[in-house]
Amino acid sequence: MADLFRIGDRVRASRVDPPHHTRLPRYARGAAGTVTDLLGRYPLPDRSARRLAAEPEPVYAVAFAARELFGEGDHTVTIDLWESYLQPAEAAEPRGTDTAAATSLPARLRRDAPRGRP
Amino acid sequence: MNDVGGMQGFPPVPQEPDEPPFHADWEAHVFAINGALIGRGVYNLDEFRDAVERIPAQEYLASSYYERWLRGITMLLAERGIVTEEDLAGG
Repeated sequence: MADLFRIGDRVRASRVDPPHHTRLPRYARGAAGTVTDLLGRYPLPDRSARRLAAEPEPVYAVAFAARELFGEGDHTVTIDLWESYLQPAEAAEPRGTDTAAATSLPARLRRDAPRGRP
Repeated sequence: MNDVGGMQGFPPVPQEPDEPPFHADWEAHVFAINGALIGRGVYNLDEFRDAVERIPAQEYLASSYYERWLRGITMLLAERGIVTEEDLAGG
């Protein structure tokens, strides 16, 4: 089967919290990033850790903006991710944008709120 | 216990200049035993990682890196009936 993604593609990591071993870190769940490298084909650890048959599948280096993962920071974090963990970025709903987070805060805590004092 | 990336509340990671690969001989033995068991197909690398993640949280957090490896190895060997608790206690 052909690889689903190419270098430069925008992808989004799965939101699923599996009840078994996985190599998709919690902090990257639901986050969108960019494929930066093709790393070959390897069995999905989620299956091989349970001694289940695991056909080799593409593994990608995916770069995430720190802001996407942690809400702040100017660096990127690159994670090796199996194809099963990923879908095209536009196909999944966003993780929750800064706008949504900001509007759920009381007005006084919003960054754009007028300040009482300089 | 696993997947603590991005989690707050841990102390800083100690930075050791010229850190040796192992801090004691037993650590090198644990490293070698794990490689031998994986190489012989007793378990695979993903099963080993899973075993380390299954160490009870309190024990995991109180253990050093290679103590976790040793615990993961003995868990897998006990689960497969290759060693018993008595074997392990007997040294």
